[in-house]
Amino acid sequence: MMKQLAGNRNDSWVVIAGLIVAIVIFAYFSAGGNMGTFTITLLSGLLRAMLLFLVAAGLSLIFGLMGILNFAQGAYFMVGAYLAYDIQHPTSGVISLGQHIPNPELRFLVGIIVAIAVGGALGAILETVLLRPLYKRHLFQLVLTFGVSLIMLEGIKAVWSTTPYTWLENIGIQTQRFVIFGASFSYYRLFIIAMGVLLIIGVALLLRRTRIGIIIRAGVEDSEMVSALGINVRSVFTLVFTLGCAMAAFGGAVAAPFLGATIGMGNTFLLASIAVIVLGGLGSYEGTAVGSVIVGLAWATMEQFSIRPGVGSVWASITPMLLLALVLLLRPKGLFGEER
Amino acid sequence: MAANMMLEVDNIHTFIGQFHILEGVTVRVPPGSISVLLGRNGAGKTTTLRSIMGLNAPQQGTIRFDGRDITGKSAYAIARLGIGYVPEHRAVFKELSVRENLEIAARQRGDLDRTADMIFALFPDLKRFINLPGGNLSGGQQQMLAIARALVPDNRLLLIDEPSEGLAPVIIEQLVHAIRELAKEKTVLLVEQNFRVASKLADHYVIIDDGHTVEAGDMNYLIEDKALVQRYLGVS
Amino acid sequence: MQGQPPKTRSPWLTTLLDNWFLLAVLVFLLLLPHLVGWLTDSSPYGVQRGTRFIMQGRSVFWQSVFIEIYALAVLVMSYNLMFGFTGVISFGHALFFGLGGYIVGMMWQYTDIAPDLGLGLSIILTMAVTGLLGFFIGLVSLRLRGIYFAIFTLAVAEMVWIYVGRWPLTNGEDGFSISRMPEWLDPSRNRLNLYYIGLALFVFTFLFIRRLVNSPTGTVFQAIRENEERAKTIGYHTLTYKLIAITIASMMAGGAGILHALLNKKLGPEMFGVVYTVDALLMTIIGGVGTFIGPVIGAGSLHIADVLFRDANTSILGFNIGENWLLITGFIFVIVVLVFPYGMVGTWRRAQSWLSQRWRNRRQQKVAMTRTGQPVEDSRA
Repeated sequence: MMKQLAGNRNDSWVVIAGLIVAIVIFAYFSAGGNMGTFTITLLSGLLRAMLLFLVAAGLSLIFGLMGILNFAQGAYFMVGAYLAYDIQHPTSGVISLGQHIPNPELRFLVGIIVAIAVGGALGAILETVLLRPLYKRHLFQLVLTFGVSLIMLEGIKAVWSTTPYTWLENIGIQTQRFVIFGASFSYYRLFIIAMGVLLIIGVALLLRRTRIGIIIRAGVEDSEMVSALGINVRSVFTLVFTLGCAMAAFGGAVAAPFLGATIGMGNTFLLASIAVIVLGGLGSYEGTAVGSVIVGLAWATMEQFSIRPGVGSVWASITPMLLLALVLLLRPKGLFGEER
Repeated sequence: MAANMMLEVDNIHTFIGQFHILEGVTVRVPPGSISVLLGRNGAGKTTTLRSIMGLNAPQQGTIRFDGRDITGKSAYAIARLGIGYVPEHRAVFKELSVRENLEIAARQRGDLDRTADMIFALFPDLKRFINLPGGNLSGGQQQMLAIARALVPDNRLLLIDEPSEGLAPVIIEQLVHAIRELAKEKTVLLVEQNFRVASKLADHYVIIDDGHTVEAGDMNYLIEDKALVQRYLGVS
Repeated sequence: MQGQPPKTRSPWLTTLLDNWFLLAVLVFLLLLPHLVGWLTDSSPYGVQRGTRFIMQGRSVFWQSVFIEIYALAVLVMSYNLMFGFTGVISFGHALFFGLGGYIVGMMWQYTDIAPDLGLGLSIILTMAVTGLLGFFIGLVSLRLRGIYFAIFTLAVAEMVWIYVGRWPLTNGEDGFSISRMPEWLDPSRNRLNLYYIGLALFVFTFLFIRRLVNSPTGTVFQAIRENEERAKTIGYHTLTYKLIAITIASMMAGGAGILHALLNKKLGPEMFGVVYTVDALLMTIIGGVGTFIGPVIGAGSLHIADVLFRDANTSILGFNIGENWLLITGFIFVIVVLVFPYGMVGTWRRAQSWLSQRWRNRRQQKVAMTRTGQPVEDSRA
C-alpha cells in the first residue's frame, strides 16, 4: 500500500558529503598545509555561502512558486550595497542621507534598514506593476526581469557612476578580529555567518510550521490547486517576491563593508546564485541551503588556490559558472530537485 | 424545472488558447443531488468543471451558483463561495503531509476541528497516515485525501473529476460508498468515464459530445436507453 | 464567354508581385550609397587622393551605418529564428557573434597565413566552431526544461567573456585591432565593396530564413513554439528540430560577427558581452517576434537610434541621452514587452486585421440591413 521512501534522497546526501570533503581537502592543499590559512579559507567560504543564500533563497522560492527566474535578483543585492555604502559615507556617497546621523553604528543600522525597505518596495512594485500583467506568459516574464536588471544596473551607474567604492569607515565590530591558528578573521564576518545560519533555520521553520509556509510549499507544487482551495495565490506571489528581493538587498548591505559597492557585483552574485539553485535543485529549499554552502566553499577555495603562482585569477572568477556547467552536464536536476 | 438550481451553467463557450473546446455547454444541477457529466474522451467534461471553478473562464455564457452569477470570477473567489474542487489525477500535495493537505483547505479557523471526525469516519486510512507525506499514499488513498480536502471547509457543491480513474474495483466500491454518504449533505457534480460507477452514483446525467451538451435527464431512464449509451459513450 | 482557357500568369511575375515591397527595399539598398552621394554631393567611393581613396563624406559614413545594420540584422534574424520561430530563448547568443569576429581577427593578426586565404579559412572555421558549439550546448541543455538552456548559454557566454577579457594573447580587456586584411575588403580603403558584401550576406540570410521557416521544418519549429508537448504527441522529435534551429542560428551569428569585425577592424571582449545578447533580444521583440522583416526593422531602428543619440551625444532638456542610452534602452525594452509584445510588425499586423475585421463587420451589417430593412445584431462585434 505505501510507497517506499525514494532512495535517491539518501544518495543525495552522500554526494553532498563527498563534495564537501573534496572541497575541504582541496582547501587544505591550496593553503599549503598552513592551518591558519586553511581555516580562514573555510570561514571565507562559509561567509560567501551565507551571502549567496540571501540572494539564492529568494531566487529559488520565486522560481519554485511563480516559475520566473528573477534576473533582477543580483541587481537588488547591488542596490542594497550601494545604499548601505552611501548612508555610511555621507561625504563620498551621492545621496548623503547619512549626514544627519552622527553615530556611525546607528548609520550602519539605518543603512541596512533602508536597504531592506527599498529592496522590498522595488520588489513589490516590480511584481505588481510589471510581472502580474504577464501572468502565465513565462517567456515574457523572464525577458522582463532581464530588462529590469538592465534598468537597475544602468540606474545605479547613472546615480553613482561606475567608480568602485571601497568601504572606509570600519565601525566597532568590524574592526575587531579574532585569531585562530595564527590567522585573523573579523568578528563582523563571523557574525554574518552566524546570522546566516539563523536565517536558514528561520526560513525553514517558516516554511514548515506556519500556514503561509504550507501555502508556499503547496504553491511550489501546484499553485493552481492552491487557488482552487480558496487562497489568493497572487498575493502570496507578491509577498514571496517582495521578501526575496528584500533579502537580497539585505545581503548586499551587510556585505558592503568588505565587498564595497561595485557595478559588477550584481551580475557576479546573480550567476553564482543561479549556480546554487541549479546545484541544489530548482524549487527546493534544502537544495538552496546546501547549494549555497557548496558553491561558497568551492569559490573561496578556488580564490585561495589561484594565489599560487602560475594559476590565473580567471579560474576563481569562473568557478560558480563552471560548477553550473558541470551540474547541467552531469546531474541536471541537482541534488534535491525533481523531474517536473 | 425547479426554480432554484444549485448550479446553472448556461450555454458556455470556453477557449483554451485558440482552441474552441466548449461550444455551448448547458448543465443544471439540482440541490442535494448527484449529477454526472458523461461523454467520450476529449469531449470537454474536464474543461466544463474548470470553467465552473474559474480556472478557464468562459468567453460566452453564464454560470450561476445558488442564484449568484460567478462567470469570470477568479478561482479563489469562487472556491470561497462554497465550491470544492477535486481535479483529475487527485492533485494531492505530495510533499505536504496528510495533515497539512487538510489544513491548507481550511478557510476559517476551526474548520478542520469541526469536520475532522466526519472525514475520518468516511476515510479511516487518512487518520492512520496523518503525518505521512501525501506522495507516500497509494492511488486510492490519495483520491480519498483529495475528496476529504474538499470536505474540510463548508462547501455546498463538490466538483469531482474522474474519481475512479486508475483504481482497483475494491477501492472504487469504497469511494462510491463515501461519495453517497457525503452527498447526503452536499450537492455533487461528477465527471465519470466509467459508466457503471456513474450509474450507481448519479441521480441525473448530462452527456457532452464534441464540446456541447447533447442530452440530459434522469439516470433511471439513461440506464434503460442502451442505444443512447452506446452512441455517446461507446459502451454497452 | 465559354471555352477559353484562363490566362495563366508567368510564375516569375507572380513572385515579383507578391514580393514587390521587399524588392523595392532591395533596390533601394542597392542604390543607397549612390543615392546618399547624390543627395549630399559626396562620392560613394570616398574622396580621391591620387590613386587611393580616403573614406570621407556622407555617403561613406552612411555606408558604415548600413554595414553595421546588416551585421546586426543578421545577428537579430538568427536570434529570431531560435526565439521568435522556435520558442527557444538564449541568454548567450553574443558568444557566437564574438567567436566569428575573434576567429577572423586572430587569423589575420596572429598567423602568417595570407589574408585572402585566411579569410576563407576563417569563414570555414567560424561556421564549424559556432555550429558545433551551438549544437553541443543545445544537446546538453535542451533535453531539459527551457530555462536550463537559457541559464547554460548565459553561463558559457559569461565564462568566455571573462576568459577573453583576461587573455594576454589578445590584450585582454583592451582587445586588438586588425591591421592586416585584404585590400579589396578593407573598409578604410574601399568601403563600397564591404557594403555590397554585407548587403549580400544580409539578403542571403533573409531569404534563407524565409525559405526555412516556410518549409515543413519551419512549420515544426513554429509548432514547437506554440506547444511543444502537443508537437511531441503528434510524433515530432522536437529535440532534433530545436538543435537544427540553434545550430543554424549560431552559425549565422558567427557570420554576423565576422562582418562586424571587418567593418570595425577592432576586436574586444565586449563582442562576447551581454550587451549584444540584450540587443539581439530587444531588437527581436521591438521588431516583432516570429516575423521576417521584424528583426530587420528592429536592428535598423535601434542602430540608427544609437547613431543619432548615443554616438552623437545629443541632449534633450539637459538630460544627456548619449550617456544614459543603455538606461533608455532598458526602459524601451520593458515598455515594449508590456505594451507591444508583438513588436512593431506584429502590432501593425494586428491593427491591420482588427481594422479589416471591423470593416468587414460593417459591410455585413449594411448588407443585412438592406435585406431585411432592420439592423442585425452582430454577435461577433
